[in-house]
Amino acid sequence: MSVSELIRWIVSLLLKPYVFAPIFFPGIATAFILILLLIWLERKIAAKVQLRYGPLYVSKRFGGILQLVADLLRYLFQEPIIPKNADKIVFILGPILLFGTAYIPTALIPVSGSFVPFRSEVSLLVVIALLSISPLFDLVIGWASNNKFSLIGGLREGYIIVSYEIPLFISTIAIAMLYGTLDLVEIAGQNKWGVLLNPIAALVFLIVTYMSTARFPFEIAEAESEIVMGPYTEYSGILYGLTMGASYVKMYVLSLLFTILFLGGWNPVFWPFTLHPILPGLIMLAKALVVMVIGIFLRAVYPRYRIDHALSIGWKLLLTLSFLAVCYSLLITYLQVVVWV
Amino acid sequence: MSERILELYIGPQHPGSGHMRFHIKVDGDIIVEAQPNIGYVHRAVEKIAETKKYIQIIPLVERPSLADTANPNLCYILALEKLLGVEPPERASYLRVLLAEMNRIHSHFYGIGILGIMLGSSTAFMWGFADREILIDLCQLLTGARITYSYIIPGGVRRDMPKSFVERALKALRYIEKRLKDYDNLFIENPVTKARLEGVGVLKKKDAIRLGVVGPNLRASGVRYDVRKNTPYCVYDKLDFDMVVLKEGDSYARLRARVLEIKESIKIIRQILKEIPEGPILAENYYKMIPPKWKDYYSSTGILKFPAIFARLKPSPGEAVARVEGGRGEFFFYVISDGTDKPYRLRMVSPSYRNVILFSHLLKGHRIADIPAIYGSLDYFPPGADR
Repeated sequence: MSVSELIRWIVSLLLKPYVFAPIFFPGIATAFILILLLIWLERKIAAKVQLRYGPLYVSKRFGGILQLVADLLRYLFQEPIIPKNADKIVFILGPILLFGTAYIPTALIPVSGSFVPFRSEVSLLVVIALLSISPLFDLVIGWASNNKFSLIGGLREGYIIVSYEIPLFISTIAIAMLYGTLDLVEIAGQNKWGVLLNPIAALVFLIVTYMSTARFPFEIAEAESEIVMGPYTEYSGILYGLTMGASYVKMYVLSLLFTILFLGGWNPVFWPFTLHPILPGLIMLAKALVVMVIGIFLRAVYPRYRIDHALSIGWKLLLTLSFLAVCYSLLITYLQVVVWV
Repeated sequence: MSERILELYIGPQHPGSGHMRFHIKVDGDIIVEAQPNIGYVHRAVEKIAETKKYIQIIPLVERPSLADTANPNLCYILALEKLLGVEPPERASYLRVLLAEMNRIHSHFYGIGILGIMLGSSTAFMWGFADREILIDLCQLLTGARITYSYIIPGGVRRDMPKSFVERALKALRYIEKRLKDYDNLFIENPVTKARLEGVGVLKKKDAIRLGVVGPNLRASGVRYDVRKNTPYCVYDKLDFDMVVLKEGDSYARLRARVLEIKESIKIIRQILKEIPEGPILAENYYKMIPPKWKDYYSSTGILKFPAIFARLKPSPGEAVARVEGGRGEFFFYVISDGTDKPYRLRMVSPSYRNVILFSHLLKGHRIADIPAIYGSLDYFPPGADR
């Protein structure tokens, strides 16, 4: 086998959906770049509202966009301090698993109709199931740090998890009923805008997206002025960087899912995007980016809720609304059957 | 039962504590006991004052209460002037009130900003600190310094108002009034802010009087007490303004009281700019001691050089008290002179010192998340309390 053949073989392997999707797009590479971009955007947008410049001096010509790269390098070379009384193995593994499990669902989310690494009749359920793994590590981290503030933060996270997971699941079911399938490829392929089909489910899903990724006003588990940094209080160096990045990765995943379920996925596909099966993913990424930018903009608008407010929003408002969304979907489906049959 | 209780030490190295520590006992999320532990920034102002000459004490008493530096300065000078038996000229009194009111606005913006960041609203924090800068610039134009002015001296003030001041001040006040609407829209009327503050840390009128609380915190509980109204000093009796009194007594009322006081202060400053009389800014018996060269300098620049007597001021033996309404509440100074050039004793009671008792009173029964909300709403300033 000559060198050119070898290169061609490697390239073709890398372009296979089951390699390309988890590693490049929409997987870890994209997620990584997006984290850096999103945190920069978050700081820039907040700065704009707050009459300041925001990150500026690292790459001044480009508005300080490399600031986050500089921060990342600092995190990488900073000594990660492990407290004497912490549960060391769990303390180190916690952030890694938190970040890793947050990003796994990207491997299952299709970004175009024909470029799918994993296809299953129940891929929606699998994504939702995988999504619910990563927050558990917040609890684990909070416990392993052996710090009272971490413990309180972890418990707060635990309370919030149970209050948003149920509305998330029910609202997803509500919209899936209208599509009549649990296959994400098929859902996006139907080219219906879920936000018009069932606006209640869309609202619940959007609020849950921001709630589960600790966007304001739900930045409760790591409320700085109350419990220092919540579960992540004892972390430093790259381990802290991972805990910080995890919520952004989760927001990325949930935004992609929101785009598929409610914003028509990669549709409409028009000319330049028909050239290669991966290109429609860019349309989807753009839509997801809008959802994420709204999420990070909230930082400049809201203070944070107290834990009991957030729980009552979860249990009283979101749960009720998600059941309403199911009823709405049932009604629509019933009407469709009655009208057409 | 005792195993249910978790003890938390919040501070002094905690992002939400300031220079102090709270010893909190929580049952679940509910606070059952809260003790403020103060003294981390104690600077022995009262003891140092006994070793300093009278004029040197001015910068000393300003230091503890950043943001609100003109009012302790004014209060100390009022007490000292009683001992010295001098009266400031009217223009100087107006200028003193002008600086005190600019400082009050500046101090309230500082307080609103701190409350904002404690609730998690970084926008309110940045806005508060940015708009505070407008007042700082004005103060700098008047006094030459940004924060610690040492502007008020026995018998008068240090500098006259520059010519461009009135115009710039009016422009700044218009800007502040415009900005207050933005604060209403984004922070004060924000549903999340309301949810966090309304009904949190309610201080009843009866308790407010019993605990000896001062300042906007007292008036937000419905008590009509403002030194500027009850025992007017300087020219406050000639100025038309309202005392801000609110009924609710919760954290939200304390926030609103500050915003309303900013509006009242703007009203006062407008009146001063209109009504300020022409005339000298230093009492005649001190002014005549200034050498002719520096009198010329004063008449051309408006900047006074101290007469040499300031280095050895010797009030007659006796004691004097003065009280002043600062941004955070009432300042009280008690000066005892034994006839030498240093005070025998100086007692400085700052508003934060009076208000610190509220922590153990208000926090009980609330949640951990309410600690910063109540703390911020009290506008408590640890260095001011420790002195």
